[in-house]
Amino acid sequence: MAESNSTFRPVKPKLKPKPRTPKETPESKYWSSFKTHQIPNLVSSITSLTFSPIAPHPFAAAHSTVLTLFSPQTLSPLSNISSFSDVVSSASYRCDGLLIAASDLSGLIQVFDVKTRTPLRKLRSHTRPVRFVKYPVHDKLHLVSGGDDALVKYWDVAAETPILELQGHKDYVRSGDFSPVSHEMCVTGSYDHTVKLWDVRVADSKSVMEVNHGKPVEDVIFLPSGGLVATAGGNSVKIWDLIGGGKMVYSMESHTKTVTSVCVGRVRKKNGEEANEHRVLSVGLDGYLKVFDYGRMKVTHSMRFPAPLMSIGFSPDCRIRVIGSSNGVMYVGKRKTKEENVDSGLRSFWSLGLEEGRKMMRPSYFRYFQRGQGEKPKEGDYLVMRPKKLKLAAHDKLLKKFRHKEALVSVLGCKNPENVVAVMEELVARRKLLKCVENLDNEELGLLLMFLHKYTSVPRFSALLMGLTKKVLEMRVEDIRGSEALKDQIRNLKRSVEEEIRIQQSLLEIQGIISPLLRIAGKR
Amino acid sequence: MRTGGKSYVSSPPAFSNDGKRLLVCTGNTVSIFSTSTGLQIASLEGHTGSVTSVIVVPTSSPAGKILCYCWTASLDGSIRYWDFSVPELMKKVDIKMPIFSMVIPSLFVQPAERDEKSTDLLAYLSVEDIKEQENKPNAMHGQIRKCNLTASRLIGGLILKETPQPEFITVSPSGKFFGIRNKRKLHIWMVPSKDSGRFVAKKITLHHTKKLTVLAFHQTERIVAAGDVTGRILVWRGFGYQTFCTGHELVCGRLVNKEDRPGVRGSDDADSSSTWHWHSGEVNVLLFSSDGAYLYSGGKEGVLVVWQLETGKKKFLPRIGSPLQYFTYSADPTLSSISCADNQIHILKMPSMEILKSISGIKLPYSFPEIHEGLCSGFAFDYASGSVALRTVNYGIQFYSLLDDRGIYEVQICERNHQPADEITVVVNIVALSQDGSMMSTVEVKLPEEGIGGLVCLKFWALSSENKKFSLSTVIYEPHRDSGISAIAFHPTRHVAVSSSYGGDFKIWVCNDGIQQKGQVLQSSGWACLAVGAYKKKPMTAVAFSSDGSVLAVAAETVITLWDPNKNVLVAVIGDTLTPIVSLSFAGKSEYLVSVSQGSKPQLSVWSMSKLSLSWSYKLQIEAVACTVDLSSFAVLALLPESSVCMESNDSTFQRRDGVILLFNVTDPVPVATWSVRKAKGGGLAFLQGKPSSLEQNDSGGNAQQAFLVYINGDHEYVLFDLYGNDENELRIPRVEGLFGLEETGKHGYASIYGELPEIQRNQTMLVPSLPSERPWETIFSGSSHNLPPLTKLCSAFLQSLMEKRTAVVE
Repeated sequence: MAESNSTFRPVKPKLKPKPRTPKETPESKYWSSFKTHQIPNLVSSITSLTFSPIAPHPFAAAHSTVLTLFSPQTLSPLSNISSFSDVVSSASYRCDGLLIAASDLSGLIQVFDVKTRTPLRKLRSHTRPVRFVKYPVHDKLHLVSGGDDALVKYWDVAAETPILELQGHKDYVRSGDFSPVSHEMCVTGSYDHTVKLWDVRVADSKSVMEVNHGKPVEDVIFLPSGGLVATAGGNSVKIWDLIGGGKMVYSMESHTKTVTSVCVGRVRKKNGEEANEHRVLSVGLDGYLKVFDYGRMKVTHSMRFPAPLMSIGFSPDCRIRVIGSSNGVMYVGKRKTKEENVDSGLRSFWSLGLEEGRKMMRPSYFRYFQRGQGEKPKEGDYLVMRPKKLKLAAHDKLLKKFRHKEALVSVLGCKNPENVVAVMEELVARRKLLKCVENLDNEELGLLLMFLHKYTSVPRFSALLMGLTKKVLEMRVEDIRGSEALKDQIRNLKRSVEEEIRIQQSLLEIQGIISPLLRIAGKR
Repeated sequence: MRTGGKSYVSSPPAFSNDGKRLLVCTGNTVSIFSTSTGLQIASLEGHTGSVTSVIVVPTSSPAGKILCYCWTASLDGSIRYWDFSVPELMKKVDIKMPIFSMVIPSLFVQPAERDEKSTDLLAYLSVEDIKEQENKPNAMHGQIRKCNLTASRLIGGLILKETPQPEFITVSPSGKFFGIRNKRKLHIWMVPSKDSGRFVAKKITLHHTKKLTVLAFHQTERIVAAGDVTGRILVWRGFGYQTFCTGHELVCGRLVNKEDRPGVRGSDDADSSSTWHWHSGEVNVLLFSSDGAYLYSGGKEGVLVVWQLETGKKKFLPRIGSPLQYFTYSADPTLSSISCADNQIHILKMPSMEILKSISGIKLPYSFPEIHEGLCSGFAFDYASGSVALRTVNYGIQFYSLLDDRGIYEVQICERNHQPADEITVVVNIVALSQDGSMMSTVEVKLPEEGIGGLVCLKFWALSSENKKFSLSTVIYEPHRDSGISAIAFHPTRHVAVSSSYGGDFKIWVCNDGIQQKGQVLQSSGWACLAVGAYKKKPMTAVAFSSDGSVLAVAAETVITLWDPNKNVLVAVIGDTLTPIVSLSFAGKSEYLVSVSQGSKPQLSVWSMSKLSLSWSYKLQIEAVACTVDLSSFAVLALLPESSVCMESNDSTFQRRDGVILLFNVTDPVPVATWSVRKAKGGGLAFLQGKPSSLEQNDSGGNAQQAFLVYINGDHEYVLFDLYGNDENELRIPRVEGLFGLEETGKHGYASIYGELPEIQRNQTMLVPSLPSERPWETIFSGSSHNLPPLTKLCSAFLQSLMEKRTAVVE
C-alpha cells in the first residue's frame, strides 16, 4: 500500500476489446508463415504444378506450350522444356525424380530427362487432347493418362504402348491420381460427374468403384491414407471413403466459384507430432485458397489472391506452396524451416569450440567487466531486490511536473494516437485541456489540428475528439484565420468530416434496408 | 454492542518514550499501536467524551525509556493520568469543562533546571465555556486556562485569553513557551521559570495579514514559525526579547532599531521575520526537527516538505495521497509519523522519509459533485466475512473489517494519481458485492470538462483464491452509452449481474469463466452482456434480485417492473409511487418487496408479490434499507424531519440525534423495534451473520440464528448490535485477533537480509556448570583451568553458596 501511494502512475491508454475468438490459431499462423513471392511473366494460365519427390524438391509449372522447372531454393526458373506443339496440360515426376512426363492438348505424352531435357519417349495414342498424366508412386515403368476422348490409358512407358484402355467415362476425363499405397489402383474424375476407381490388374477394364460428385469433376486426389479420396467440382470439395464402399464423408462448400485444383498439404508441428497433420488445400476461380482439415471437418485457414486460381502444389518437405493463377502469375509461398537454422547452429557449434581455447578473460577486454552479470540465481539464493525503476515517457514526466501544455505537445509529437487520447483524458480530469488548447502557439496548434484531422472519425476516439475539435475551432478561430497553414489543416479536417458524414449516411441507408428484413425475420 | 470506525486523526498522536508504541486518540479511547507491526496492542478506556490530547511523560535518562505514563484530556471535562503499559488509570482530574487542547510545559523542562522542591504540575488548557453559550450570540467560547494537576483543580478566575473558538495550544519543545493562533495573530506566552498557581504568564502578540493556521516553536532558539491559509510559512526569529526579559539576562536591555527588523510588523516583539512560500494551499503541519536544523511543513497537497532552516532548501515526500494533519516525531530519531486526513497514520523512517507502516482507519466520507445520487451511499457489505467496502477519495475501495475494527486492504479502482488539492473529477460511484463476497463490481465516472471527455466505466472484479484480494476481471467502457449507471445487483447464486442506467435500459451481464471451448485454449474469463431490457424508455433507477434469483425487479422511475432474468421477459408491472424509486430490495425469502423513493414526497413502500399490489407504505425520508437474508424482516434508517429535531433538541438525551432505525416485519406496518441515532445523513445499515465458530461459543444467546445489525453513521463510525438479544449484553463475538503482540514476529537485521543462520551445534558437554549446586564448593573449582568460567563469576557463585539462604516467607 505504501508503495502504491508514493509511486507515480503513468497515464495508460484505454484497453482495447479482445477478440472473442483468438485471432491467430497456431494453424493459421503456420499457413501465414509462408512468405508469398510472386513470379510473374509466365505466358498464360498455369495449368499444372508438380513437385519432384526427391530431396531438394524442384517443381515444374506448365503454362502455355512450355514446361518450366524451378529451383526450390532461389525460386528462379532452372530450365524450360518447350518441345510441345500445343498447350501443356499436365506433368508428373517419376518417383526417382529423374524423369518427367508431360501431356499436351495435341494428345501427345512425352517423357523427358529432367537434366538434359531431351524427350526420351513419345506416347502417342490419344486422339483428343490429353488432360492428365500421372506416374504411379513406386513404379517406374508405367503411366496413366486421360483425355477428352473419355478414355483412360495405362501405359508401358518403355515400349511406348498403352497396356490397358479403361473405358467407362462418358465425358472428358479431367484428372486422375494413383493410390499412395498401391501402384495398381488409380482414380479418375470426369466431366460426366463421376469419379471412377480403376484396378489395372482387372482385365475386363471395368471400374472397381464409381462415385457421383454431382458436378463436373475438375480434380481428384488420393489422401495419404489411401482410403480416402478428395474430389473437386463445382463449388465443393468432397471427401469420399473408398474402403467404406464409396460413401461421402463430408462436402466442403466454402468456395464461391468452381474449385479448380486440390492437393494435400501438411502442417508440420514443432514437437514432431504426426497426428492430424494432413490438410486438403483447394484453390478456386474465386481466388481463395482454403485449407481444410478433414480430420476435424473444418476449414482452418483461408487466403485470398487477386486472380482466379488454376492449380496448386505443395512441396513434400512442407517448405514451398505454389499456386498458379489464370493470368500467368505464380504465387510461391516459401517458409523458413529449421534445416537452415540447424546449419547455422552447426557452424556456431564449431565456432564455440574455437572460443573454448581462450576462456580466460583479461581486463583488456570489455566483456571482462561485465562477466557474471547474466548469472541466474540458484535455488535458495537470497536475492537482494532492487526496486524496479519505473520508466516514464516524456509526456508522463511533464504531467508529473504539472506542465500540461508541454505534455500535450510532446505526446502529439510521437505518433501513438492512443497515448495522445490518454493524455487528453488525463488533462480533462485535471480540468486543464481547454486551457492547454488556449495556450498552444500556431505551430503546436497545427500539430493538434493534424491529429484531429486524422483521428476524429475513428470510432474509438471520436467521443472525445469530436467535442474537442468543436471547442478548438471555437476558441482559436482568430489564429486559424490568420495563418495559411492552419487554413489548410482546416480544409483537410473539413474533407474528412464530410467523408465521415457520407459514410454515416450510407450506413443509415443500409440500415434502413436491413431493418425491415430483420423485423420480418424476427416475426416468424 | 460494539463500536468502531473511529477517526485516528482527530488529534495528534504521541509516541512512547522507546518509540515502539504510538498512542492515538480514537473517539472516547486512546488506542495504542505497535510501530513495528502497525497493529493495535492495547487501548485506554475510561473517558466518556472524545479524547483530544495525549501527552506522554518524557524522560531524559535512558533507563526511563520503559516508563509509560501519559496524561489525556477529553471533551468530557476530565484529565486522566495513565500507566499505558498495563494499562491502568492512575489519576483523574475533573474540571467540568470540555477540554480541546492541553499542554504541560513543565514536563519538558530538564530536571536540572527544574526547581529542587517538587512544585505543582501545571497544565494549560484550551476549554470551551459552556455556561455563556445561551446568553450572547457571538460570545467568546474558547478560553485558555491554567490547571494545577497535582492539586487536581482548575485555578479559578485566571483566564489567559478568550477566543471565539477553542484553539489548539502549541508548546515549545523546551517547555519555555506556548502559544495559540487567533485569526491573524499569534499569542505567545512564556512559562515562568518558577511557575505557581497564581502566576500570570507574560504574553506577546505577533501579527500577520492572513489567517494563520498553525504554529511551531524551535527547539532551543527563539524562533517561531507559522503557516497561513495561502500556503505561506512565516518564520520569526528572536521573538520576545523585550517582553520576556528577566532581571539577569543581558539581552534584556538591548534596543533594536525599528528599521532593522526586516519583515516584522508594527511593534511586534521579534528581530526578524521571513516568509517561505511553496505550498499552494493551507499549511496544516509545521514542526521543527528535534535537532533544530530542519522545518517540516505539509498541507492540503499531501506533500511533506522539509526545509533546511539555514538555507531554505527543500526536500519532498510527494504523493502521500491525502491532506496532512499532524506530524509527530519520536525519541527514536529514525521514527516519525504523519497523520493524513483520510484517517491513515503513516510511520516514516526518518532521514530517508520512507513509509514503513500505515495504520489505516476507516475511510472518511468525502464530498463530490452530485451526479444522480441514488440511495446506495457507497457502502457494500460482505456478509460472509463481516467487512464493509467503502469508496475512498483516491479512487479506491477500502475493505474494513467490522468485527476486528481495522482496515484489511485497499483496491485501486482507477489507475490515476490523486492530487488532494484538486477538484474531484473522477469518482468511484457505485460499488456492489455479490452475496458470497466473491465478486465485486464498481462504476467510476469521469466528469466532463465543459461537455467533453466524460466517461462511465463499469468494472468487474474477481476474488483471487490465493491472497483473498480482488483483481480486475473485465472493464466495460460506457456500458450504457453515455448515460450513468444507477444501480448494480448481483444474482444471489449464479455469476450474473444487472446494471440499470438512467438512459432507460438495464443490462444483464454474465461471467463466462470456466467455459472451455472444445479443442481451443481456455478463454480468459470475463463478463459479457447477455441481454438488454427497457420499459417505455423510462430511466431505470434501481434493481434487485429476489432471494432465489427467479425474479428481477427493476424500478423504472415510479413503477416497478418484474422480469424473468433467465428469459429476459417482462412478467409484471406494479405500482406507482409519487417520486422516482431509488432503492429496491426483497425482504429476505418473503414475497415482499421494499421500495424507497426520495425527493419532495419521500415514501417507504412494501409491495406484495403474490397480489402484485401495495401492502403498506409510510411517508418517511429513508436513508438506507437493510434486509435480512432469510428472515422476513427488514430495517430502515430514516431521517427525522427538521421540526422534530428542533423539538427534541432541548432534551439532553436526544441531543443531536437526527435519525431513527426502524425494524419492521414485512406483514406488519408497526415497527418491531426502534433506535434513535446521530449523524444519520449519509449513513448505512446492514445485517451481518455471526460467524459459525462464534455461534458455537455463544450458547447462552438462545437463538441459533443470530443476526447483527450494523449501523454506520455519516462520519463512518459504526456500531454493531444484536437485534433480539438484550442490548445491555455485550456482543458475544469474540474478537478474532483482538490485540496483537508488540513486536513483529518477522525477521530483523541480519536475518531479514541474509536469512536465518544455520544453528551451529556447539558441544554442550564442554560447558561448565556455573550454577551453584547443593554443595557448589565441591564442584565449582573442579575441571581443567581453561574450561573454568572467569574468576569473578566463580567468586560470586562461591560466596553466594556459602551464605545461608533466607526463607522467602515474610510475615
